Amino acid sequence: MTGGETDAPASMEKQFEDFRVKLDEAGSLRERIRAVVNEIESITRLMHASLLHVHQSRPLSEVLEKPKAQVDGLKELYGRLAEVLCECPGEYYRFHNDWRSETQTVVSLLAFMHWLETGKLLMHTEAEEKLGMNQAEFALDIEDYLIGLCFLSNEMPRYVVNQVLAGNYDCPRKVLRFLTDLHAAFRMLNLRNDFLRKKFDSLKYDLKRVEEVYYDMKIRHLANGDSAEDNGTQGQS
Amino acid sequence: MFHAPALRSWISSSRSPIIMASKSKTHRLHQLSGTALQSIAKRPRTITTESYMKDAFANYAGYLNELNEKRERVVKSSRDITINSKKVIFQVHRISRDNKEEVLKKAEADLEAVKDQYISRLVKELQGTDFWKLRRAYSPGVQEYVEAATFCKFCRTGTLLDLEELNAGLLPLSDPAIEPLQINVFDYLLGLADLTGELMRLAIGRISDGELEFAEKICRFSRDIYRELTLVVPLMDNNSDMKTKMDTMLQSVLKIENACLSVHVRGSEYTLLGSSDPSFLMGVPDMQS
Repeated sequence: MTGGETDAPASMEKQFEDFRVKLDEAGSLRERIRAVVNEIESITRLMHASLLHVHQSRPLSEVLEKPKAQVDGLKELYGRLAEVLCECPGEYYRFHNDWRSETQTVVSLLAFMHWLETGKLLMHTEAEEKLGMNQAEFALDIEDYLIGLCFLSNEMPRYVVNQVLAGNYDCPRKVLRFLTDLHAAFRMLNLRNDFLRKKFDSLKYDLKRVEEVYYDMKIRHLANGDSAEDNGTQGQS
Repeated sequence: MFHAPALRSWISSSRSPIIMASKSKTHRLHQLSGTALQSIAKRPRTITTESYMKDAFANYAGYLNELNEKRERVVKSSRDITINSKKVIFQVHRISRDNKEEVLKKAEADLEAVKDQYISRLVKELQGTDFWKLRRAYSPGVQEYVEAATFCKFCRTGTLLDLEELNAGLLPLSDPAIEPLQINVFDYLLGLADLTGELMRLAIGRISDGELEFAEKICRFSRDIYRELTLVVPLMDNNSDMKTKMDTMLQSVLKIENACLSVHVRGSEYTLLGSSDPSFLMGVPDMQS
């Protein structure tokens, strides 16, 4: 063996040194993102816990009071996230996985709160508004929004059961109407075999479960007459 | 500048989103809501609870269709890049002392063709956006291209083609008005990891042909790449596939080193047998001394 150089050529060394520097920077950026996301997670946990009171049939205004107040906190945090991402323009999707599932949870909570208040489905643009995610470089990913809606639907069967237990016999019909509409809307999408598709499948089971509760009540003449069409506003007694 | 999926911009860029959605295998529901939307614009809306949902979802459907179709086109173009880059690599493997110039000239021409025909197609499909979003769709092709390009360069000059130079070559493919396609550091490093496998094959092949010096050059080069990578890999995002490649890479480096050792130790035996084809030595077990 010719006693060769023990060091890599200078140009190779330099390139890899550059890589290390860049990757280090990305690493610290990622840490900052993670820090904000952890705070987002804390707030969502609190909001979720507050909303769980709805299963214990507390009055709606009481249940919604704290979570509504916390939405501003969320908006501020997403604003901070946007600021961090401003430092690396075009790399929203490079780091997307770091806040993706938390955001889906946030959407599901916001949609649930919106539905409890208005009986309607939170729109993508409305969700963006609430979170301040309507900037050009920092928007709410549509698939995250749709998955969030599926998480919302997952909560419905349990909600219906507990409402009936608490004597709200009108609930199953309203929820059934809502989920049927939601399911029909989802069927308009051409989905590939990914996570969103799996969540859409779970929506079907939620719908089925609510149908069962409604049917059980109907045949026992427990459900209110459903000849009167309601405009979708939700009233809680 | 790339921008995050703004449904707004998607809608505003296509006056009738419903029509766009229905270009994918006329879905009856799409057309229904299309007419509903258009007629709703003209007369007072009778509120049915579901129409607002369907309108919104028609837009989401259009967005998803466009994204998925783009993704499919990108995957197809990535496959073409992979196949044709592999051909370049096979071509380079034909190299020997006698035909170096001829083999490399063809390989380099083929590599240019990969760039001009297939990478340019990828550039066209991406249209300057979604580079990170769709990375998984085109990453395999790009990695293979990196492998082929660095392989050629090494055989030509004995040096590593660096990312900057590689990307400079891709700039002309993109329209200056849009964000150019540039290979990112991850795809470059992943391609480099695969390169060592080819280098190993090349080294063994060269040893069989008695080109020991070339093999030793390959040996030093692979060692350098491996060593540099050990420092960089821990810093990569989501580096599990890279970590597996590092294991394979070390195996390749070991094989090269051991093959060179065999030849080195038995060097005198080569000349003794006067053979320019010592390949028969490769299968001989170690002699007890």
